[in-house]
Amino acid sequence: MFSQWMVGIAFFLHASPRYRHAKKFFYNLLENPAYPYKRFFDYTMMVLIVISVYILILHVKHEVSPKWIFFNNYVVSFIFFIEYMLRLWVYSDTSKIVIEQYEHDVFIQRPFNYFNALRTIFKNKLTFVTSTSSIIDMLAIMPFFHEFRILRVFILFRVFKLFRYSRSLSQLVSILSSKKFEIFTLGIFAAVIILVSSVLIYVMEAHNPESKINTLFDALYWSVVTIFTVGYGDFVPVTDEGRIVAMAIIIAGIAVISFATSIVVSAFTEKLDQIKEEKLIDDVGKIDQFYLICGYSPLAAEVARQFIRHGNKIVILELDKEKVQQAHKDGFTALAYDSGSLHSYQAIKIDIPSQAKAVILLRESDVLNVYTALTIRELSKKVPLLSILHQDENRRKLSFAGINEIVYTQELIGLISKEVSGRPVAFEVIHALRSENSGVFIEEIGLDATMAERFFEIAKLPLFHKRLIVLGIYKTSDRKFLFNPSTDLIIKEGDVAIVIATRSLIDEFQTLMYQKGKR
Amino acid sequence: MIYKSALVFGFNEYAKQIALQISGEYPSFAVFVMTEAEKTFARLAGFEAELFDLSEDWKSIEERFNINELIVFCALDNDAENVFLTISLRATFENLPIIALAGDHESAEKMKSAGANKVMPILQITAGIISEMLEKPTVTEVLHDIFYEDSKLKIAQITVSKGSFVVGKHLHDIDWGNEYDVLVLAIVDFQLGATFSFTSRGHNHHIDPDDILVVIGYEDKIAAFSKAMEVSV
Repeated sequence: MFSQWMVGIAFFLHASPRYRHAKKFFYNLLENPAYPYKRFFDYTMMVLIVISVYILILHVKHEVSPKWIFFNNYVVSFIFFIEYMLRLWVYSDTSKIVIEQYEHDVFIQRPFNYFNALRTIFKNKLTFVTSTSSIIDMLAIMPFFHEFRILRVFILFRVFKLFRYSRSLSQLVSILSSKKFEIFTLGIFAAVIILVSSVLIYVMEAHNPESKINTLFDALYWSVVTIFTVGYGDFVPVTDEGRIVAMAIIIAGIAVISFATSIVVSAFTEKLDQIKEEKLIDDVGKIDQFYLICGYSPLAAEVARQFIRHGNKIVILELDKEKVQQAHKDGFTALAYDSGSLHSYQAIKIDIPSQAKAVILLRESDVLNVYTALTIRELSKKVPLLSILHQDENRRKLSFAGINEIVYTQELIGLISKEVSGRPVAFEVIHALRSENSGVFIEEIGLDATMAERFFEIAKLPLFHKRLIVLGIYKTSDRKFLFNPSTDLIIKEGDVAIVIATRSLIDEFQTLMYQKGKR
Repeated sequence: MIYKSALVFGFNEYAKQIALQISGEYPSFAVFVMTEAEKTFARLAGFEAELFDLSEDWKSIEERFNINELIVFCALDNDAENVFLTISLRATFENLPIIALAGDHESAEKMKSAGANKVMPILQITAGIISEMLEKPTVTEVLHDIFYEDSKLKIAQITVSKGSFVVGKHLHDIDWGNEYDVLVLAIVDFQLGATFSFTSRGHNHHIDPDDILVVIGYEDKIAAFSKAMEVSV
């Protein structure tokens, strides 16, 4: 009966879009650094921690309003408690564990062993509960349960929670933890020296009435401040033997400090590339819209330059690390990942459907471009794909791979050559319009309902009449271009106007259409 | 100037596409190559090719073509060789129209210095097309149709004849769009220099004989417009 109920609930939750959506939302908010709203959540929690510690410090010597005490002990703690429970919830997928156990048992034709499922769930959750960050979270909630003065110190554990919300702090911990063995060895070395020197100095000094080192604790304190080269001078050896011990411990202290410094420096040096890459991945995750360029070559660099010149953002994926370094030198955002591997997109946390305006395939062969195209198509069916074509005989294969636009440079050059030789002036005119170096632009303006309604009214104004050429209207509904349209043409929302004019005139034209529309 | 002969130097994939596009446009056409391999490649593509080397004195060209009606395309594989070819052609034929391919902007500048009339930097052209296709897809589609597809919408350059009724008028005096259903994009005003000026710049040019108007319109409208242009005042 219980097992049936358990499986029923698990299947219900697993199939419920609302439940899954809610869980995904909280997971993103708590754990996914690429989630755009996570940083607002993190900032809020950091502010709560700062307020909490401020109240604690203020309370030492001043009266704090009971409202603030209540806020600190209950409201903040309650928020942290909710956060803790949410983290516990999203840590593992309980319904999935139950379903997997159920399906496993059905497959091998035995009754559902709910005990096994419960055990797996418990083990999973226990892993969370016993993790360091989780213990800190739990201690930070403590004042919620107790109002004893001594327990207020647990508020300080909230400071440690900052590690959760600040990536830099987490990185510091992870860098140092990569040198656990060295730090442990150093600790043992320092502890042995402190222990030996404490005993020695005690033996040498304690019997001397002029010495201030009278207890083993005094000796330990002196050893610690000496080995770490602090040397306050409040306890000093007075006997010759004691001074010899002091000299030895000072030399050992230099060794300890040097060792510690070298550990930290080498840890940072080793992790520097990784830190930079993580920062870059974080930055890429925060870009709303960009063009994704797969492969880095002189052509890719030129394409990237053109996009950036037009105010767009670009991200380059290139497997060859030397080429990536070159891309960085050229001033582009580039990551050393294989654009043809699904794993890459998971690792760099790029969401192709929402972030990529288009993907441009500029890898060194048609084979690689087709492979990359199929990978991208697995991630998104809709994102526009443009590829360079290296061998004309592969054109159909590129089309089959779902590439929307194919650029075959050789053919392009052939077509342009024909124009250059046949109509050189006409070609120069169009080329100048396209290159935008002449100050006159050919621009497409997507029209909304109000702009469509006002289009001809504005175009007829004396300001535009002879200097803004309306080349035509592209009717998106029937995919037809209407050249030199008469003013009685009905333009609809979504149609595109192609105009030729100077940049300032085009901007003015768009502004006026918009302003008129607003009225 | 209407050329009657065209000559392509080199036969790589670019030269092949140039040859395919222009060979039908000229009564006399030839391919000159530097290696036997290129010669074979050209033959396979359906073109007869002749061997040349960069030290040649170009007599074979003078014997075969009327230099005053010839246009050449320099499309050798190597940019340095292409520059050398351009400079040696220019040294021999002062007025020969030379169109050269260049890998990038840097080579393009060298080609211009060597005397090429028009240089096509492959890298920049390709990058420009890629960014335009994604940024301005409608513009790209329309211009592609006008230039390269069998569309009825065409771009043309019309030279103003001496007795034309437009001579003496200003560019903005005529409502080209309403009267002739064509749009005048630019004018080559020889009184102000040999380069073109955009109509959109707003300068009201005085139209003189031999000025060139660059117009866009449907084939039949352009034909009618050309005819109307010839009508005397």
